[in-house]
Amino acid sequence: MTLARRGWVQAWLIYLLLWAAAPRPAEAESREYQIKAAFLVNFLHFVTWPPGAFTKDEMPFCIGILGEDPFGAALDQAVRSETVGQHPIIVRRWKRLADCKGCQLLFMSRSEEKNMDAILGKLRAQPILTVSETRGFARSGGIINFYLEGNKVRFEINPAAALRSHLKISAQLLNLGKIIDTGGGGQ
Amino acid sequence: MNWLRQLPIKRKLNLVVGMTCFAVLAPGFAALVIYQIVDFRRTLVHDTTVLADVLASLSQANLRFLDSDLARTSLQALSAEPEIVAGCLYSAQGDVFVEYTRPGVKVSFPVHAPAARNYFEPNSLVVVRPVTLDRKVIGAIYLRASLQGVYDRLFGSMEFGIPVLIACVLASLMLSTRLQRSISQPILELAETARFVAERRDYTVRAAPQGRQEMGLLTDAFNLMLQQIHEQNEALNHERDLLNTLLDNLPDSIYFKDRQSRYVRVSRSKLENAFNLCKERHRDAQPAGSPPNFPEHLSNLERFAKFLDGKSDADFFDEESTRFVHDEEEEIIRTGTPIIGKVERITLQSGAAAWYMSTKMPWRDKDGSVIGTFGSSKNVTAIKQAEQKLQTQLERLKLLDQITRAIAERQDLHSIFQIVIRRLEEQLPVDFACACMYDVGAHTLTVTNVGARSETLAFSMALAENANLEIDENGLSRCLRGDLVYEPDVSQAAFPFPQRLAAGGLRAVVFAPLQVESQIFGVMIAARREVEGFDSPDCEFIKQLSQHVALAAHQAQLYTALQKAFEELRQSQQTVMQQERLRALGQMASGIAHDINNAIAPVSLYSESLLESEPNLSPRAREYLETIQRSIEDVAHTVARMREFYRPREAQLALIPAQINVLARQVIDLSRARWSDMPQQRGSMIRLAAELAPDLPMFPCVESEIREALLNLVFNAVDAMPDGGILTVRTRLAPDQTDRRCIVAEVSDTGIGMDEETRRRCLEPFYTTKGERGTGLGLAMVYGIVRRHGGDIEIESIPGRGATFRLFFPCATQAAQPGQAAPEVSVPPRQRLLLVDDDPVLIRSLREVLESDGHVVVCAQGGQEGIDTFRAACAGREAFDAVFTDLGMPNVDGRQVASAIKGISPSTPVIMLTGWGERLLAEGDQPAHVDQVLSKPPRLRDLRKALNQTSSVPPPAS
Repeated sequence: MTLARRGWVQAWLIYLLLWAAAPRPAEAESREYQIKAAFLVNFLHFVTWPPGAFTKDEMPFCIGILGEDPFGAALDQAVRSETVGQHPIIVRRWKRLADCKGCQLLFMSRSEEKNMDAILGKLRAQPILTVSETRGFARSGGIINFYLEGNKVRFEINPAAALRSHLKISAQLLNLGKIIDTGGGGQ
Repeated sequence: MNWLRQLPIKRKLNLVVGMTCFAVLAPGFAALVIYQIVDFRRTLVHDTTVLADVLASLSQANLRFLDSDLARTSLQALSAEPEIVAGCLYSAQGDVFVEYTRPGVKVSFPVHAPAARNYFEPNSLVVVRPVTLDRKVIGAIYLRASLQGVYDRLFGSMEFGIPVLIACVLASLMLSTRLQRSISQPILELAETARFVAERRDYTVRAAPQGRQEMGLLTDAFNLMLQQIHEQNEALNHERDLLNTLLDNLPDSIYFKDRQSRYVRVSRSKLENAFNLCKERHRDAQPAGSPPNFPEHLSNLERFAKFLDGKSDADFFDEESTRFVHDEEEEIIRTGTPIIGKVERITLQSGAAAWYMSTKMPWRDKDGSVIGTFGSSKNVTAIKQAEQKLQTQLERLKLLDQITRAIAERQDLHSIFQIVIRRLEEQLPVDFACACMYDVGAHTLTVTNVGARSETLAFSMALAENANLEIDENGLSRCLRGDLVYEPDVSQAAFPFPQRLAAGGLRAVVFAPLQVESQIFGVMIAARREVEGFDSPDCEFIKQLSQHVALAAHQAQLYTALQKAFEELRQSQQTVMQQERLRALGQMASGIAHDINNAIAPVSLYSESLLESEPNLSPRAREYLETIQRSIEDVAHTVARMREFYRPREAQLALIPAQINVLARQVIDLSRARWSDMPQQRGSMIRLAAELAPDLPMFPCVESEIREALLNLVFNAVDAMPDGGILTVRTRLAPDQTDRRCIVAEVSDTGIGMDEETRRRCLEPFYTTKGERGTGLGLAMVYGIVRRHGGDIEIESIPGRGATFRLFFPCATQAAQPGQAAPEVSVPPRQRLLLVDDDPVLIRSLREVLESDGHVVVCAQGGQEGIDTFRAACAGREAFDAVFTDLGMPNVDGRQVASAIKGISPSTPVIMLTGWGERLLAEGDQPAHVDQVLSKPPRLRDLRKALNQTSSVPPPAS
């Protein structure tokens, strides 16, 4: 417990340090991704995967990044010493869609915007939470999509897409996010 | 709580019910309130915690995604909950994230997130809960709830509960007031009954019955108790009445005393005694003559009874007289040992003695510890006096008995009087006592006995023993008429004899007559110095005593007479017995004599025949034969004398003058063997001294008897000297007791001698000191011989020194005739003789002697043969001229033979030879048909004489 708390305190200290550096322009972008990285991890807590998504209890949560990685070290720092239930979190980075295998959350970088429909088509009905920061991602069948409102990071949620992928999204999360209703689903 | 006890039972019951009700309700109510408060607070904590947790859960995403607006909206929802006055959400860093405050309430929040807990502050509850996500604390929520609701609730409860409580208590009081009657009413009734009973002491009252429950049982028990008390009371009253009856009526003094000897209860008799005693003492203490002025407590018995209660003897008697009683009671209390039947003598004020028998016992309580004493005492003076009287009587009786016994042992009047007088003096007692004998002829009294203690007095009054008393017209003459005379005071009598007694200091005198069969023979006099010194029992005693004495005296006289008669009777009986004894002896002796005579007949016949018919005998043979003949004659005499024990010698006994010295020498010679040879064989030596006076005159005697007497004395003398000594034979001429001139022959020895008894009895027949060796006849025979010669015998003896027997023989009054020699008897003519005897030796000797005289002798052995021979001879021509026949023969004795011969030939003389010859001669009992009787042993001279006579005598007419 003590050890866990220390880890927890350290993580937040680092987070605060990073957050303190935000006012600079370069740092502003950096700070945006730091928040987005934290949000990625938070999503894991408020979404429930179907029982078949994990073959083993100890099987780690895998956050996959397709395309260019905008987070840099921020995501690695965010997942360090973070767990979802008993599952540790790992980050994988892929250039091509074909490489994407065994991940529960797939972040599609802006660099892949042109392949967006292909990617979403391929991942449809798979228990993978798809997240992006691409305009129209949610409307296109992606599940969560970041957007900026002022200088605040916000996100859209497509509950229908989530239902297709057999993922349950917490009501609290739905409360926070902007609901994109594409029909064909509940909500 | 004391006041509670004082309350009446009704109030008590009310109070108890009310207090019980309150005591039960109040804690219940308080518990309810407390429970409500606690429950409310717990509920508040729970609700607040739940609320906090819900908020925390709702705020997870808000905090994660840092959405403060949404978070604030959530907190605003707290306004719906009136209890919550403030809420605050802290971020993971502990900073305030969002906060909520109820409007109108001022609250400050901790700047930094407090630790998760809940706690009460005054008026509020603070709950801090963590906000966790995936077991990670991502923040904290802080809620503050107001406690105002609790207080509102509490007051609300109070406002409702207290009136309810009061109402309940009041209701219970009202109810108990009505209901308690069922309990208190019977108790009050019971109490009322008890009070009534206690006040009136009426145990017949009963409480009303109350049914069968507890009160009923109590009432029944109370009634039963009353019943028992009533019965006990009745019994107690009965016992008390009995006790009072005893105490009030018994003549005994009964008391109860406590441990300090204080009276607790006394009987009426005791009370009266003490009352009278106290009064008496009080009166005595007053100066003489003054009227008795009694203190109040002595005024009457009731007051005295009150006075006595709780007092001890020491309170009204002096200590001296009560100490003993007190000590005695202390002893009883200490030891617990009762005193039973103790008889005490008490000298009364009047000087008289009273006797009390008292019993004192320890008085114990139920536990057995002694709490006092009780007892009774009874006046036993009358019994005691009677007892003493009886005792005196008994002593008198005993004295009378003693005297009677004592005099019964005595036979002479003098010692009887002695005893009586002495006993009278010592044990009645009297100051003077004497006994007098009355001489009827001289009409005088002679003092015979005076008591030892009275002797001096008697002498001074000239009343010593053997003094004569004159009989004047006083008590003595009356006494001599047979009355017991009592003079209470002799100094008042004018007569000389009473005056004599009075001069000796005597006053009261009793004269008791001694009377046997209306004949006065004496007077007994007893006197005392006191006037009227004798009471009637004394006189009665003396009277009885005098009668006893008289009787005893009479008996003594009778006894003396009887004794004398008895003595005479005894002597005559002795004589008769002795004669009888001698007679028996004589009969026995004649039997013996017969045999001896037969046996020695041939000796006598042959020796005589030899001496006569053999002239050529040597002198020595002749001397021997003569000695033999003399001895045989002595034997014949001795045998003949045997019968003399019982009959005096016939007068015709021929006494021939003889010289005593000759006889004495013959005796010495004859007995030499006994006094010389036999002692020498035993080793002792007897010296014989013959002191024979010369020229003594002749004296008439039977020589053989004198010889035998002397011989006997010599033998006795020798026997008396077993260790030797001197035997003296002495003769002299001396006068005897009657001054006759006598020849004295004396035999004395120096032997063992005789004691008086032996000396007195030695002449009695069969009296012997020699045991088996003696016959007891020797001296008796000597005595007989001496008496037959008209002489006497004297015996002197000193035991251990010797004895002397002295024989006196009177000398012949006329000149002694010279010894007449027996006349010569001529030989009878030749005759034919028949000899009948059963003894062949005798027959043979007799035949030879007769044949030597030239007779023809035919012998027949036995009576029958003799008769047959005689008859045969008569039938032939050879008839017998005379027949000799023995008397005693078997079958046919001499008498029959004589009778038969006379029957055949009456003229033929029959001469009877008999061993009993002398007796036949003496008795004159000559049998019929016998012409001559000759005694055995026959002497030749007698045979010739008899034959001469028969041949010359003509045959008897018959």
